[in-house]
Amino acid sequence: MEKQGATAAIARQKANTYLRGLMPLFGFMGIIIIFSILTRGKIVTPENLSLMLSQVYVLMISSMGVFMIMTVGALDFSQGSIIGLASIIFCWVSNYSIVLGVVAGMLAGAAMGAFNGFFHVKFKIASFIVTICTMYFFRGLCKYITTNGPVPAITNVLALNETWLKLLLTGIMLFLGFMVWHFTRLGCDLRAIGAGETAARFSGSRPDLLKFLVFMASGAITGFACFINVIKVGSITGTAGSQLETQILIALVLGGMPISGGAKARFSNIIIGTLTYCVLDMCLPMVFPVPATQQLVKGIVFLIVVALTIDHESLRVIK
Amino acid sequence: MSDVILRSENLCKRFGITTAVNDVSLEFEKGEIHGLIGENGSGKSTFCSTLCGIYPVTSGRFLLEEKELRARSQVEANRRGVSIIVQEMGTLPGLTVAENIFLGEEDKFMRGIVKNTGAMNREAQRLLDGYGFKRIIASKMIDNYSFEDRKLIEIVKATYFNPKILVVDETTTALSRSGREELFKVMDRIKSGGNTVIFISHDLDEVIDHTDRISVLRDGGLVDTVKSSEASAGELKLLMVGRELTNRYYRTDYDQSVSDEVVLAVDNVSVPGEMQNVSFRLHKGEILGIGGLSECGMHETGKAIFGASYGRSGSVTLKGGYSVKSIPGAIRHGVAYASKDRDNESVIVADSIRDNICLPSLDDMSKHALLNNRKLDGFARKNAELMSVKMTGIDQYVSALSGGNKQKVVISRWLGKDSDILVLDSPTRGIDVKVKADIYALMSELKERGKSIIMISEELQELLGMSDRILIMKDGRINGEFMRNRNLGERDLITKMV
Repeated sequence: MEKQGATAAIARQKANTYLRGLMPLFGFMGIIIIFSILTRGKIVTPENLSLMLSQVYVLMISSMGVFMIMTVGALDFSQGSIIGLASIIFCWVSNYSIVLGVVAGMLAGAAMGAFNGFFHVKFKIASFIVTICTMYFFRGLCKYITTNGPVPAITNVLALNETWLKLLLTGIMLFLGFMVWHFTRLGCDLRAIGAGETAARFSGSRPDLLKFLVFMASGAITGFACFINVIKVGSITGTAGSQLETQILIALVLGGMPISGGAKARFSNIIIGTLTYCVLDMCLPMVFPVPATQQLVKGIVFLIVVALTIDHESLRVIK
Repeated sequence: MSDVILRSENLCKRFGITTAVNDVSLEFEKGEIHGLIGENGSGKSTFCSTLCGIYPVTSGRFLLEEKELRARSQVEANRRGVSIIVQEMGTLPGLTVAENIFLGEEDKFMRGIVKNTGAMNREAQRLLDGYGFKRIIASKMIDNYSFEDRKLIEIVKATYFNPKILVVDETTTALSRSGREELFKVMDRIKSGGNTVIFISHDLDEVIDHTDRISVLRDGGLVDTVKSSEASAGELKLLMVGRELTNRYYRTDYDQSVSDEVVLAVDNVSVPGEMQNVSFRLHKGEILGIGGLSECGMHETGKAIFGASYGRSGSVTLKGGYSVKSIPGAIRHGVAYASKDRDNESVIVADSIRDNICLPSLDDMSKHALLNNRKLDGFARKNAELMSVKMTGIDQYVSALSGGNKQKVVISRWLGKDSDILVLDSPTRGIDVKVKADIYALMSELKERGKSIIMISEELQELLGMSDRILIMKDGRINGEFMRNRNLGERDLITKMV
């Protein structure tokens, strides 16, 4: 009898855990419903949907890199500056070949990520400090290069600004990311490092090497996203991509990503998080048309959504 | 004489779905040392934690000198005269020794709003000297002291104000022989002062030797209270487990059945500040025990073999000629390691049982670098069940398991990896009799299958009972070697240890 009670309780606990995992999804659907009502259904018009989609691509792709960084328990505040600088490199090289430009953008991103990773791993400086410093450093380079005006890409890149292409590229990246996360040992290793670095090392993972590689890969992924960034606008100014880092971090947290990383990181955090962010970002101006109040409302709304959907259990797991 | 100082009435404590303490009514007398024993998860620690204000009780109550005691924090319990020395670290890093001793009692040393640090340090030093711990300096940061010294400081912290009730929770596992003697002296002093000690330990002989009465808990309930002078370890085990244990606790064979085939050669291995020029051979099917005092370098020896030491010189060579230089290399070539520091270096507590078991074997299970998640689940389930890990499922987090079950997870991961050399550092530390017996039985079975085991241990009985050969280390060097022998006793080993 008692045994039966215990089994039922375990089942209940499992169901609870499962439901808590679904909270970000409920949050996303709730936001869509609320804003559909507030805007009287305007958010589902084709124009608005395509507007929203146009924001999703870059955010979703670069979130994948930061997702891995956060899984090992680190943070990255330099993503906006990385995409800015990588975009400039892409613009230059695109004048010779667009494909080479994409490769060059990724290499530049990888180099900047490696720079972050090197300082974080080799000198054991907390990642948020390293990346706040490099955020200024890379941004400074961007501003310096664009002193005499924006850096233009070859003009025919604008012709590539097609929804199908952007969707395809984002889809491919997501697919690759998903495969690597779920079907190679990387996902397992990264979660273990985030959950307990020393124990992971004693289990055969290589925390230092993997942390370095994760920063580098994240840079390369964002370097790839710069291609989509450039074909939208055609030329790069000194402030291109600024605020991307905060957008990524908020998006991931909205998606249910535990701030301290570890075993509770799920690939779906990326997708749900970025979609939730983009819906909020698009809808708020429609409901609050005065720009001055938008930031204020945005801050409050984000705080409420995070407070409601965040998985407190995963924060309680002390590393 | 039989003055009851503390009594628990129908005490219950539940954590969500699990009942940790179930309807326990116990009486503690003035001037007695009362042992509390039971398997892992039997509720002894929880019982004492509710007494000391660490957890609130679910129902029932404590009566201290016939007045209800319902402490909401350890400081409040202290004020009522109840203090505890815990199993794991109970001191705070980043503070001085004196600040740790007087934590929560700083008011005594306040002159207005200014703390009189000098007076605090002097008072702390006076206490330390009084306990005979003159080498510990009160004004130094606690981080300067070893695990063992910090335990001694905790003993001072918990007893300097002459508590009416002192709880000693599994403290002896963290102490060396001399540290234990110090602790027993303090316990006896409290007893002769007419106060009471509640003593929790897994070491039954220790409990019988140092207590007046012993209460046995099983599955959260009280089984019986017996007089220590009339108790034997065998009877107590029976009470704890509730059924007859098999006779096979340690190995019973003494017929030197070890092959000459060397599977591991350690040559001139040194780690600065830890060990010097250690060399030995491990044979196929051998259980090699390494013993000594806790700072003798034996724990570092285990790490060095596993490629986990910083600044190691010398060589560790496996049978095929492979030289171990890194942890992943060691794992790939069949070396397994279970650390003494289980929660930090063996299991990843904030991760699932599944991930913990699969982690070292991921490369073996992947095909063209791709993993099959169903295969991983099956692998984890099979190995966890092989070791009969008590769990709700492989998704459960290791943090929710008891010490013995955590160790089972560690062992099942290496069984799954099918490692040929197992380095087990303090494999039964803080583990109850039944799991201990399981682990010893498993070691014998692995030996029969031709696996080689290095068992590093501070428990002399365990070394004598299980090893084919024992190396004793002292000050970072090997100081003695003994072959398995019926006539070998603790005394022989101790002479080489000190």
